[in-house]
Parts: sequence; C-alpha cells; structure tokens
Amino acid sequence: MTYRIVSNRIGTPGDIYEPEAGVNVEALLLHGFIVEDKAPPKSAKTKPTEKG
Amino acid sequence: MATSTYLSNPGVVVNAVSLTDQCTSATVTNTAEALESTAFGGTSRVFVAGLFNQEITLDLYMSYAASETYATLAALVGTTTTVKVSNTVAGLTTASATEPRFELVGCYLEALPVINATMGELSTISITFKGGVLTTVVS
Repeated sequence: MTYRIVSNRIGTPGDIYEPEAGVNVEALLLHGFIVEDKAPPKSAKTKPTEKG
Repeated sequence: MATSTYLSNPGVVVNAVSLTDQCTSATVTNTAEALESTAFGGTSRVFVAGLFNQEITLDLYMSYAASETYATLAALVGTTTTVKVSNTVAGLTTASATEPRFELVGCYLEALPVINATMGELSTISITFKGGVLTTVVS
C-alpha cells in the first residue's frame, strides 16, 4: 500500500508518503493528511476468439 | 551561563505532522526510574536505575481547522505514535550535535483536552505523550 501527501504539514502535496516507524497512518488517513495511492486498474485483456 | 534562548526556532512534529507553528512550549524528559537499593549498614539512600520512562509535554494553540491541531491529535488518543522535537526546525530533517533531534517512538497519548475556552483568550491545550523509546539523533 502506498500513500500520497495531501497536507503540506506532512510534506509536499502530491509526493508519495512513506510512513516512518511508529507513525499512526490510520489517523493521518482519517483526517485527510494523506490518501491511499490507488494504482490505475489494469486494462482488461481479452483473448481473441478462435473461429474454426 | 545561559546559552539557549528560544524565540521561534524549535521544531515539533507529531505523528509526522508539523505542529511547529502551533506550539509554544515543548519539554522532553528522559527518566530512568530510581529503584532504592539501600541495605542494612548503609547510612545514605542508594538508588539504581530501573526502567526508562520518557515523556514529551507540548503546549499548543488549539485549532479546529483542517490539518491543524485538533485534526492531528483527535485520532491519536489511546494510541501510540511518534513525536519529534528539535531545538531548531532544521534539526528535524538534518540533525547535528548542535541541533539534536529527540524522537520518541511508540509514545502513548492518554488524554486530549478537546476544548479549552476562555473569553478573550486564544485557546491553548497541554498534552503529554508517555512511554516509548527515546532516540537522540545528532547526525
């Protein structure tokens, strides 16, 4: 799971946030200091249908 | 000779959130609990070190705005976190012998005054983080 900075009290907004030891990540998420960085969904691969 | 006068230099980070601009006082206390080991025959009390028991006390202006004091602390009550204090803001990122950074990892926030209102005064709170492991970073 990766996180992205929202608040400039944590760092530069938009940068990836790497939690340090002991940091309560849930508290940061709850109050919007960071957000989960969700990877874009992979495009669906469809197999070509074989026609006999 | 007094050599440390704090004007606006110290830096404070609570749970990775900089609260330097809300903080007016920070005290980091490194305590080794005293266990008495005085025995018969002794004429003075003697102590040996027991468990370490660390504490960080902060005085903060209370603000309920987004990303401010309340938002930083509200979800930390009853949990453990990391608090960093340095005598300079630069010491928070680049510590040195003259700008040491004190990091308390795994410290517990027992209580948070959620409102402290007095007519005509800025609202302030005092909080104490207890326990955890204190590390002094100097490089």
